[in-house]
Amino acid sequence: MGYILSHADQVLVLTMEHLQVTAVAVILAVVAGVPLGILVTRLRWLYPLVLGTAGVLYTIPSLALFAFLIPFLGLGVKPTILALILYSQLSIVRNTAVGINTVDRAIVEAARGMGMTNGQILRMVQLPLALPIVMAGVRTITVMDIGVATIAAYIGAGGLGVLIFRGIASLYPEQIIAGAAPVALLAVLADYLLARMESALRPKGVGR
Amino acid sequence: MDAFFGYIVREPMVVLQLTGQHIILTLVTVGISIAIALPLGILITRYQRLSFLVIGFSNLGQTIPSLAILGLLIPLLGIGFKPALAALVLRAMLPIVINTYVGIVGIEPSVIEAARGMGMRDRQLLTIVELPLALPVVMAGVRTATVMSISIATLAALIGAGGLGDLIFRGIAMVDGPMLMAGAIPTALLAILADLLLGRMEIGLTPMGIRV
Amino acid sequence: MKTGVMFPLLLLTLVATVLGSACSGSAPAEKPKIIVGSKDFTEQFIVGNMVASLMAENGYPVEKKIGLGGSALVHEALKKGDINVYVEYTGTGLTVMLKQPVISDPDKAYEAVQKGYKEQFNLVWLKSWGFNNTYALVMRKDQADQLGVKKVSDLSAQSKGMVLGATQEFIVRPDGLPGLATAYGFAFKDAKGMDPGLMYSAVAEKQVDVISGFATDGRIPALNLAVLADDKAYFPPYYAAPIVRQDLLDKSPQVAEILNKLAGKITDQTMASLNAAVDVQKRAPEDVAKEFLKSQGLVK
Repeated sequence: MGYILSHADQVLVLTMEHLQVTAVAVILAVVAGVPLGILVTRLRWLYPLVLGTAGVLYTIPSLALFAFLIPFLGLGVKPTILALILYSQLSIVRNTAVGINTVDRAIVEAARGMGMTNGQILRMVQLPLALPIVMAGVRTITVMDIGVATIAAYIGAGGLGVLIFRGIASLYPEQIIAGAAPVALLAVLADYLLARMESALRPKGVGR
Repeated sequence: MDAFFGYIVREPMVVLQLTGQHIILTLVTVGISIAIALPLGILITRYQRLSFLVIGFSNLGQTIPSLAILGLLIPLLGIGFKPALAALVLRAMLPIVINTYVGIVGIEPSVIEAARGMGMRDRQLLTIVELPLALPVVMAGVRTATVMSISIATLAALIGAGGLGDLIFRGIAMVDGPMLMAGAIPTALLAILADLLLGRMEIGLTPMGIRV
Repeated sequence: MKTGVMFPLLLLTLVATVLGSACSGSAPAEKPKIIVGSKDFTEQFIVGNMVASLMAENGYPVEKKIGLGGSALVHEALKKGDINVYVEYTGTGLTVMLKQPVISDPDKAYEAVQKGYKEQFNLVWLKSWGFNNTYALVMRKDQADQLGVKKVSDLSAQSKGMVLGATQEFIVRPDGLPGLATAYGFAFKDAKGMDPGLMYSAVAEKQVDVISGFATDGRIPALNLAVLADDKAYFPPYYAAPIVRQDLLDKSPQVAEILNKLAGKITDQTMASLNAAVDVQKRAPEDVAKEFLKSQGLVK
């Protein structure tokens, strides 16, 4: 703990950097993934194609994926955020699609009976009901992104990984912990907050 | 094409050797992880108190960056294969412990009751009913652990343990695209292949009666 | 439903604050922003922070990208403008970036990189800060004594049974292992690549036999290691100097003046003791850099 206390400013700055990269990546991943998830429920033949690609992307080791992107995007935050977005698609697309598909057919029929158009059904019925499941996906990727973002320090994206790499370079365990402990804390905190949101988003009268 | 495969074509033996190191590190990791995690996962289904502790610890452990685990083990174990293996096992056993526990606890109580009603003892219950039913979930954990190990093993190149990370780090340092790809492409292929193979096994291991 | 809306709103506000705080940092200054980079080992952390502190002291907005993974990577970043200044070594610039043969005369080597960089990359070498951080083959003192190894050429006969520890970069650099092996006829049993910071303890703890260390590293004396004399003068001189993008100098020529205040100010011994302050005494590179600048009267 000594290092964290004596370098509180630095740890704080790096934590903010870490949070920024992760937050931007998660938001963009949702912006890209949710429409894609909706699309594959409309065009069924796309589902295996999109999910298959997202699955392959998900398995690519993070160091390798960062490395793939450097020639195109250079260093720093850009390749990092893109890599995190690509990783996240599996969870977001799948959960969105599953969320929409599991809405009871009877409910959709009832909505149609009330004269709703497809767009209205999506906005007013399916998406609100799918939201908790989408949120579960957001929670998964947030926790994952917080961890993966540490490695991005090596390609100039900053964040708490800086302390970990530097701690390894000068064999200084306290410094490694000063990087790792806030990362773990961020992950636990994000997991807790998003779990709260997940249950808050569950519409009254549905499930549990 | 040269930008992607130039180095692989020029130095196939180097790539092959490092791929071999990568596979060995991953296999030994997964082997040891199963050997530790499976019994531990079973054990904690029998002791509720312990399960809180172990599962909580495992969840927390998964949030600690593997890079940090690697770094923290250096003062204890030095550099090379051993600390890399230790760091990988510490990380890879967590999903297997969790999935073993969840797999067994998630079995319908009525099934267990029925088995007990047939006069099965604890041991028989475990080997004849619980483990076979939990196996697909356990395998899902093994699959996660394997794919993750292949990924984390690239970082082992930072501590002298070799593997395909050697080429990735050298490629990054020298901005040598073909060298970088010679590390990244086989690593990605290994991960994708392992995922596919273990996914098949997961389905194959699901008992006939409960396949969806 | 009310709480359902509250939470995402709360999150959005949080995210907005986080993002906002990042952008507001770049105050509207007429002085251009200095983005300083560095490689991934201790000395580079220190000199990178020296550039940062010195420029900040003179009123420039500064962003740090310290600890990038390797020489060519930092070089590419400078060429692309992801950073606009970092400290490089003449020998590295000459052999790795310009892909020219080794020049042993330090002044001629400096002139060659200065000219080559201007022509090929439109990048400017400022004055050298004075120290020469050459590669050096390093062994445990007791083992070197026992085997009677004093010079690098003493090692070639024994190299078959030995394991080399090196940075991943050294293993593939033209002025690294490939050239060294030819020049001295080495054939190591194995070459283990690792993080630059781990080599010294790896050799001290007998996990490898020889390492390709950096001559100015403070851990060589601290861990009782011996530097082998490069008797065939294989390694070129590696004098350290800041390299700056031309467009930065166009916007603010004073950048050169400010960074040249350190010209010739840092000897090999000084750099070694600064490195030791971080690696042996476990002090932060930022603090070590700042203290040195203070001792020179360059920052308050």
